[in-house]
Amino acid sequence: MVAPARAPLRTDRLRTLNAPRLVTVELNADGAPAKVWRSRDNGGGQEETAAVVDAVLEMWRIDDEWWRKLISRRYFAVILESGTRVVLFEDLVTREWFIQTP
Amino acid sequence: MASGYIRVPLGLLSMSLSSTSSLAACVWIPLFPLRCEEARHAGLAAYPTAMLAPDTTRKLWQVSSLARHAGVKPGMTVSQAIGLCPTLRLIEPDPVHYDDCFARLLAALNEISPVIESRELGLAYVGCDGLEGIFGSPGTIVDAIRGMMERWNDGMSGAGSPFHRSIVPTFRVGFGLGKFTAWVAASRAKPGEAVIVPVGAEEKFLASQPISVLPLDTDTHRRLRQLGIRSLGALAALPEEAVTAQFGAMGRRLWRLAAGRIAEPVEGRIAPEPIVAALTFFTPVGERELLVHALDQLIGRALKHPRRIGWRVHAVRLRADLEGSSSWLAAILLKDPTADGGCIAAPLKTRLEQAPPTGAVERLVLEFTAFSPGTTELQLFARDAQAAARAGQQRALQCAAREIRMRVKRASLYHVIEVQPWSRLPERRYALIDFEP
Repeated sequence: MVAPARAPLRTDRLRTLNAPRLVTVELNADGAPAKVWRSRDNGGGQEETAAVVDAVLEMWRIDDEWWRKLISRRYFAVILESGTRVVLFEDLVTREWFIQTP
Repeated sequence: MASGYIRVPLGLLSMSLSSTSSLAACVWIPLFPLRCEEARHAGLAAYPTAMLAPDTTRKLWQVSSLARHAGVKPGMTVSQAIGLCPTLRLIEPDPVHYDDCFARLLAALNEISPVIESRELGLAYVGCDGLEGIFGSPGTIVDAIRGMMERWNDGMSGAGSPFHRSIVPTFRVGFGLGKFTAWVAASRAKPGEAVIVPVGAEEKFLASQPISVLPLDTDTHRRLRQLGIRSLGALAALPEEAVTAQFGAMGRRLWRLAAGRIAEPVEGRIAPEPIVAALTFFTPVGERELLVHALDQLIGRALKHPRRIGWRVHAVRLRADLEGSSSWLAAILLKDPTADGGCIAAPLKTRLEQAPPTGAVERLVLEFTAFSPGTTELQLFARDAQAAARAGQQRALQCAAREIRMRVKRASLYHVIEVQPWSRLPERRYALIDFEP
């Protein structure tokens, strides 16, 4: 990571890093993710790709910021069949699933 | 030799940074010093003018077209020229000013392409490989170069010796594969215009050009004309072996140039940030002994510069601002790079002896402009080699960032900065911010 040496920090120029991306998740009998569908824009339209979850490494839950806008998430650190390690979480408020890098 | 280098700190010299380009645009401003004078002295262009030679005030160096019409030619003595043209206006040369103007021009062209090669004052090559992706066709690349020249000219209007008259109408631009084709195209262009030679059409274009565009000495030129060879096409029509047998290795090169078989690439020049030592005299100095003494002092001071430690000096420039807004310049390339003050001073003292400044000196500036690594032992004493290397990396990063921004026309480099590294929400820990080195 490189510290900004010269330019003063301007929050209006900040870009999100590691923003959660919306996915569709198929759950197994235990309620853990078993398969993930992700759609991406290939220029000419939406392309959907699927990945099977190979292993669930750990799971945890975050409930925070109830005093302004509640954040309630159930996280799963998983390994996909390709060997990639990702984090999946379910937004327990909207019931949507997201994918993120750990 | 103009000082329009792409400057990098010494630490970067150990890295290989040569860059070349096959497609070339040749930017040519004939009689560049004279054009600079016409630009900064309003109304001068309306008179027949001649510039005195930098090394001797008795002979003419450059002559305007009006003076040429009156029979005045470069190399004539002043008395001969005045005899032919009594209204002739003589100009004392100001080489430091021309060098500065040209360096600024090269810096402006560097905004178009990172590969710039300066040949002589007023003649530079712009590497154009990859520029199609940014600007489009060769025509639009040439337009971009012309636009940049206009910006340079406008910038000069706000400089210390401002331009009152645009030089832009005297620019000629040639575009083609290899430096020779680009140069020939520029030499055929009308003032202010461009000649573009499409890739693959070099042979046809070159065939109709006169042999005078070749880099010939007068003897070879005469021999070729005696043989009835007046165009590049006529030369290329001869067997290569026959030309080589007649003119040797130089003949082979000439034949290949004429036939369009050689496309010498533009080579971007990398030069270190110079080490500068300057001395302003309380009163202008004309005595050579005093100048020599000042030179020794400046050399001693420059050699002690921390960035010089561990490096030997390869090229040195001595410039003097003279009374009456003229200048004097001596650029020396040392045969053997050295860190010895006496060896550096010797050729400069010879120059001061043989071609001294033509007026009293107000300010003397010494620049070490090129370096060679010292011995391994010397390198151990390079106190700030690491710092220079870091600065070099920063400079290289700046160049790369500028090039990327130019190519993709938007910011595409970012810093990763910590926002809330302790946050349990991964997306809140770090963010991106535009990278502006």
